[in-house]
Amino acid sequence: MIVTTAMNSDIQISGTQSTPTVRGDWGTGCLTMQGDSYPENAFELFDQIIRWIGVFLEQNRLPLRLELHLVYLNTSSVKAMMDIFDLLEGAHRQGRQVSVDWRYHAENERIAELAEEFREDCTFPFAIEPKQATS
Amino acid sequence: MTSAMHPLLEQIEALLAAPDHRDHPLHAALGQLYRLHVDEQKRLERLLNIADGYQQFTQADLANLKHQYERQLNKERKLSRISDRYQQLMRERNQALKTAATHDPLTGLANRRLMDERLIQAGVDAVRGGKPFCVAMLDIDHFKQINDRYGHDGGDRILVSLANSLRDQMRAGDLCGRWGGEEFVLLMQNTSLEQAGQIVARLIEYLRNLTFAVTDIPVSITVSIGVTEHSMVEAPQDTVNRADRVLMDAKQEGRNSYRLAG
Repeated sequence: MIVTTAMNSDIQISGTQSTPTVRGDWGTGCLTMQGDSYPENAFELFDQIIRWIGVFLEQNRLPLRLELHLVYLNTSSVKAMMDIFDLLEGAHRQGRQVSVDWRYHAENERIAELAEEFREDCTFPFAIEPKQATS
Repeated sequence: MTSAMHPLLEQIEALLAAPDHRDHPLHAALGQLYRLHVDEQKRLERLLNIADGYQQFTQADLANLKHQYERQLNKERKLSRISDRYQQLMRERNQALKTAATHDPLTGLANRRLMDERLIQAGVDAVRGGKPFCVAMLDIDHFKQINDRYGHDGGDRILVSLANSLRDQMRAGDLCGRWGGEEFVLLMQNTSLEQAGQIVARLIEYLRNLTFAVTDIPVSITVSIGVTEHSMVEAPQDTVNRADRVLMDAKQEGRNSYRLAG
């Protein structure tokens, strides 16, 4: 796992078969996560992401947008995503502009149902949209 | 919480304040007793206030804990729910992969890998149960000409239709597989060569009268079949090889027919 992260900067984690590709752009406020997530140590992976989001929400005034192309998540990853959404929810209640854009392959409707489960307690904008089969 | 002053205390306060009593021998001692009592009462009230405050704090703390516990419980439930659904999704994906690995994508029949597995199992079952199984190799006659005339799409459509016919015509316990190209294999368990002969005779007759809609013109095909019975001592692969040889015989002897070999 190659990780580059520093305060006030981009985050870049290259994906593997069992971990998603993560790219957080400090300049645009867009955090993208793509792929499957069943890492051996989910805490280690998600801790950096959660920290990056925390610092961004604290120090950057731009809106934060999460673009998720996640497919399979193991239990630890589901928990971590719930923590991330909790973090966004907290920020949203304090007036921060945050949003989630969950993209799924149209032929995999089940992923959309799972995204809806995640969305349940969120009051910030949370879109679940199909994408074209090509990407 | 300050309680109203007791009438006795009021009375004593008034007595102490009256100038007439100032020189009374008990005046000084009563005055001290009175002040001592008032101080003690203030202390008691302060103590009660602290105790009440502490109780309130504990109650608030408990309510807060209860709230947190309920939140955590909801989170755990949500986590399990989502996680279970991902697991279910994974199981279904595995099942789909397994099907893809064991079935021919064009016809949906068992592929060679699954047929090999089932043949080995049939060999084991035959020895254990003492009942033989038969293998039939089936080949479409002059399939190359069909492909040439109707294109590969046309040929594929005939393969799919034939596969469906095989599934319909064979008994529930029989297994049909695509061996490769235009060659199919039929595994008939608990079946003697004589029974298998009757089954393929019916099948060949059925297929002879069948027309396939490839383009606008109905197309007829014929097939050749070689059938053999597994002998308890041989490997299932030998049974297949023998069925294949008998099929070649049927082809050489003019096609559109079946041959049996024990």
